[in-house]
Amino acid sequence: MINRFTALITVLLLGWGGMAFAAANPSGPRPAATDQTLAEGTEIYLQRCSFCHGLLGDGNGPAADYLDPRPRDFTLGTFKFRTTQSGELPRDEDLFRTVSRGLPGTAMQAFDSDLIKNGLTENERWAVIDYIKTFAFEFEDPELDPVKNGLVVALPAERPPFSESLVAKGKEVFEHAKCWECHGKQGRGDGQKSFDRTDDWGFPIRIRNVTHPWKIKGGAEAEDIYMRFSTGINGTPMPSFVDALTEEERWALANFIKSLQHQLTDHQVLKAKEIVAEIPEDPADADWFAAEPMDVRLTGQVIAAPRWQNPSIEMVTLRALYNTTDIAFLVQWDDPFKDVTHQSELEFDAQEISRIGAFNSYVAANDMVPRQLLTFTDAVTLQFPAKLPEGTKKPHFFRGESSNPVHLWQWQAHRAEAGDRAVQESNARGWKQSVKPQAEEQQQVIATASWDKGRWSVIMRRPLLTDDRNDIQFIKGQFIPLALNAWDGSNGEHGLVMSLSTWHSVILEAPVPLTVYLYTLLAVLITGALGVWLMRKEQAQAAQAV
Amino acid sequence: MKKPRTMRFWSVVLTLLLVYALVKWGIPTVSREITELPFPLTVPGTLMFIYMLLTVVALFLLVTFSDEHLEEFLYPIRRFLRGEYGKVTRAAGLVLVPALVGWQVYDVTIPKVQQPSSLRIQHPSSNFPKKNEALKNPFSAATDDEVDGFIEQAQANQVSFIPQVQADLDSWAEYIEPDHMLEAITTAPMHTFLQELAAGNVSRDTARAALIEKHLFEGRALYSMNCRPCHGDSVAGDGPMADGFKLRPINFTDNGTIETIVEGYTFWRVSNGGPGLPTEATPWDSAMPVWKLNLTEEERWKIILAEYDLAQKTPRIPESH
Repeated sequence: MINRFTALITVLLLGWGGMAFAAANPSGPRPAATDQTLAEGTEIYLQRCSFCHGLLGDGNGPAADYLDPRPRDFTLGTFKFRTTQSGELPRDEDLFRTVSRGLPGTAMQAFDSDLIKNGLTENERWAVIDYIKTFAFEFEDPELDPVKNGLVVALPAERPPFSESLVAKGKEVFEHAKCWECHGKQGRGDGQKSFDRTDDWGFPIRIRNVTHPWKIKGGAEAEDIYMRFSTGINGTPMPSFVDALTEEERWALANFIKSLQHQLTDHQVLKAKEIVAEIPEDPADADWFAAEPMDVRLTGQVIAAPRWQNPSIEMVTLRALYNTTDIAFLVQWDDPFKDVTHQSELEFDAQEISRIGAFNSYVAANDMVPRQLLTFTDAVTLQFPAKLPEGTKKPHFFRGESSNPVHLWQWQAHRAEAGDRAVQESNARGWKQSVKPQAEEQQQVIATASWDKGRWSVIMRRPLLTDDRNDIQFIKGQFIPLALNAWDGSNGEHGLVMSLSTWHSVILEAPVPLTVYLYTLLAVLITGALGVWLMRKEQAQAAQAV
Repeated sequence: MKKPRTMRFWSVVLTLLLVYALVKWGIPTVSREITELPFPLTVPGTLMFIYMLLTVVALFLLVTFSDEHLEEFLYPIRRFLRGEYGKVTRAAGLVLVPALVGWQVYDVTIPKVQQPSSLRIQHPSSNFPKKNEALKNPFSAATDDEVDGFIEQAQANQVSFIPQVQADLDSWAEYIEPDHMLEAITTAPMHTFLQELAAGNVSRDTARAALIEKHLFEGRALYSMNCRPCHGDSVAGDGPMADGFKLRPINFTDNGTIETIVEGYTFWRVSNGGPGLPTEATPWDSAMPVWKLNLTEEERWKIILAEYDLAQKTPRIPESH
């Protein structure tokens, strides 16, 4: 019991990144497939797998239309995450690993009963694998067996531990093997090669941003990463480098990729830093660098139709600076494409799917094809309560409600690109009503934005205090609730099809009150004086005694 | 006069340290063993203060029990103050002690940045409509008429399914060419029912069990489509969307959740979502949708049926009035 719980918590704490090879390998030999295991596997498949993967294993279950990446079509016998050479079938252990620990960043979750409470035992997982293998005839052909044919890729015997020199060597490999052509110089998936291609199943490919460990499907540990470019990812343009690079080079590369992984901050309060000078407009300025960053996790807007389970922006990093007159937020997030056009005539009307009993959240069902350039704009919104909450009561984090409005700073890339005022200050009273822009003379937020190597940096600045009663006022020492909405235009996102965060808060640190120093000084003086007095007294006594 | 021992002073210091260590680290360590929780239960600051105060009072009584005791206790302090342990030690002590006190005072008085926390009540009932208390899931106990209707449909191989699963069933049927559409549901009760159906001697009990299997099939599909993103395949509150919410989606496999409430309450929560909660449940942090806006009553009840089944839990029985 303790072990299972600890395992679960560890996984939650470390994110999926920490899982490594834990739960990946079976504890004993694979039980032989029999009619009985097949029957057991059939039932498990119906209950746990079929609603995404379909009754025929073709990846067309009732929930499939919601998902991108779509559920795997088992009938083709093409599997992405293997320890066999490029183009080969997977080993049974590869399927076992995927079922056990899931594919982070997708709807495929871990099924290991040691990781989740009502997961599947080892034997149940083997049974369901027996059944999954019946969908593709390739598994019945002994000539295609990668193990018999000696096509298994092993980890290098020598695996030097993670070190600076190993990482530096890996960086060289990254350069000369041209990984950056697709994955981008910073590994953010913003390379311009092959982004417009489709995979074997006909879906647009998504180049992995390797800096977000919680989204790396094949696993985020160096051993996992090593396997991805040693086996290739079948069905996608990701090749195998098993012949092009030596084992040593590949191990160094895996460690370099590991070094790119972002470490999430874990605080919920953004501390705005006070500066004396003007607030810098350049995100690379030293003042911004000195401000404490806060990572905000975002997730798909799944609260109201149209729901969205495939958000592209899952993390935004915030920093804040203020001086005597203004406050500014630096908002940064990874986005491989700079989308600065907006075709409002393509916007999707949620009326039809919102009615009771309708399908209400889809991609394909709504003809919303993701990964389409030049459709919608990238955008980000900072959300505050319209007035500072008294006590703990806040507006709902999803746009507030009619009795408790929120104040929005909506930045849109296409407006910035066109030279218009990029930020629109608005108020919202719940998601059902449309957002209401403030009057022209009340528009006080000024923005500067840049997109560089797959990352947006947007700075939004406003006076600390305004005379508009629909505006948030920034008062020192107060916890001011803050939430985010974000849109990746080329991912089809616009309107309520977006990612969002729950409430965090920002505080303008008030200077330390003088009384603190006074009390401290008093305490030191009194104790010091007492010590000296006692010493004198004792010395006098000693002198008398003599 | 016999030479005073330094033992008494050091035993007092040692006792203080020991009690502090016990409260600070001992209790949390033991708490982990007892509660089996993965995190320790720390002793609150005020309680720590009381424990230490009691210890100091007890030690004071002990030390001042007699003049001799007091003299013994003070002996090393006096020696220290006279500089008998060395002048440097004395100077260091006279600087260190005030510095330590000053640091403590500073630490206590300096304002700290901490997210204001709000207490939250998990299952608020202040606005739960009492009429919901006795609501029963219409799909968990079919009437005889409904069961007979189902048998008739099954005999004609005309069982109707919700539209959401129809497309997948159709492509399955086209490829497999089954004798009966219900063969898609490969569970034991359904298997028995189909056997009896083929043999022409269907009992109502078998049919009732098979009908529940059909509802579960539909409920699981609806769960996968609508609830899984947050609550997860495993109903453990760990869906792919869960990480973004400060208030994590509820883990239904946890003993304190859907097992402790009546079905009518679950139905009310699913229907009204976060915005339907009273203030004490911090509705502004809840991502739970108002499902009555998007799902029919039947869809909601089928999901609830599947949810309890997936979690292997049973709802609390309503108290009879």
